[in-house]
Amino acid sequence: MKVTVCIGSSCHIKGSRPVVEQLQDLIAKENLNDKIELGGTFCMGKCQQGVCVTVDGVFHSVSPETVEAFFENEIKARV
Amino acid sequence: MNDYTSDIGFKSINHDGEQLCGDHVEVVEQEDGSTVIVLADGLGSGVKASILSTLTSKIISTMLAAGLSIEECVETIAATLPVCSVRGVAYSTFTIIRLIRNHTAELIQYDNPQVIVLRGGENWEYPRTETTIGGKKIYRSLIHLQEDDVFIAMSDGCPHAGIGIAYNFGWKREDIITFMEAMNLCGYTAKNLSTVLVDEVNRLYGGKPGDDATACVVRIRKRVPMNMLFGPPSNRDDADRMMSLFFSKEGKHIICGGTTSSIASKWLNKPLRASLDFCGDIPPIAFLDGVDLVTEGVITVNRAVEYAKDYIGENLLYDQWSSGKDGASRISRLLFEEATDISFYVGRAINPAHQNPDLPINFNIKMNLVQELSEALKKMGKRIKVSYF
Repeated sequence: MKVTVCIGSSCHIKGSRPVVEQLQDLIAKENLNDKIELGGTFCMGKCQQGVCVTVDGVFHSVSPETVEAFFENEIKARV
Repeated sequence: MNDYTSDIGFKSINHDGEQLCGDHVEVVEQEDGSTVIVLADGLGSGVKASILSTLTSKIISTMLAAGLSIEECVETIAATLPVCSVRGVAYSTFTIIRLIRNHTAELIQYDNPQVIVLRGGENWEYPRTETTIGGKKIYRSLIHLQEDDVFIAMSDGCPHAGIGIAYNFGWKREDIITFMEAMNLCGYTAKNLSTVLVDEVNRLYGGKPGDDATACVVRIRKRVPMNMLFGPPSNRDDADRMMSLFFSKEGKHIICGGTTSSIASKWLNKPLRASLDFCGDIPPIAFLDGVDLVTEGVITVNRAVEYAKDYIGENLLYDQWSSGKDGASRISRLLFEEATDISFYVGRAINPAHQNPDLPINFNIKMNLVQELSEALKKMGKRIKVSYF
């Protein structure tokens, strides 16, 4: 599974750093390192909905507050 | 005309407890490509010394730049400087380094510590001729420049460092030379060489300088071109033209901005790989074959502008950007240390996401960043060209 987080200006200001860090933590905690490829990308062109995250190409809008729920529903449930 | 350029930097510290520096450095560029640098040290410290040294350096640099002889300059100074009521003399020592189209340096020295010249990284005792002008003993030298020549001019606050604290007789010239030979190996810029010298002087004084101390360093180096792309063009149809102009230029290529680097990635037909290594609060950098550095846009450039402003002033943030792995530090090292001729390719597209009033970035800020950065780089003595798309 490929998870890509936008690290462009706008998403950065909206908190892409805590999103990435929490995802890294959660992935390590659940021992999913070999199943999930976490990557970064620049602007996805949907800055208004940042922080922009895609899971295998499917777009999601995530914030540092919703990242745990997002991980449970969209990542852990689908691996 | 050769392809050398001069990297000029200086730093002063004030006599303990004084708000003004009694040393003054003046750099004047002439239309024919020559540069006059004057380091003057006024008698005493504080306001009086500051006035003396400022007048001296301004008078000399202006007169020399206007093509007048050194004899006339010295006579004018002797006739104009206000006489100190305590000591009954008008006095300011000076060192003049005149770079003639970056192929010859003329040194004119009056009573400051002798200028140190490092050639091939080692101290070189260049020939000096003594002349007397208006009762003042003045040493003159003409030096044909070579690549990597380093000139170090100082006020006497430097060799006097540590008298009675660290050393009996101050920091000896030979020891300053050894210190600077070692520092020069690190590849420091002129500004940073002058900073390390003055910082060491301050340390030897125990943080309480007993005199104003100034170091002015001139490095002769080859021109190094560099290109920086910042922002997508206002009309997307111009993207190809912008990319082909940018990539056809000699020298390293820096791209700032997410959308901008995506456009470049498409144009080059190479994948853009963003890293997830957050260094401090600057967004991570990315990698793109054929580009030397890819960073995020406004936040990164804004930090680079902060570093640039500090570098031309107090130079306190050097420790941060000299080794930092984040985009802003990398841009700073490339632009401040490596490049001499920088071409900016600035796109004027308005990013709709940045127009949100909640965000601390907008179009005007972006355009201001480019202006501020190029102003600061000009003050570092670099040639700047900005093209808008």
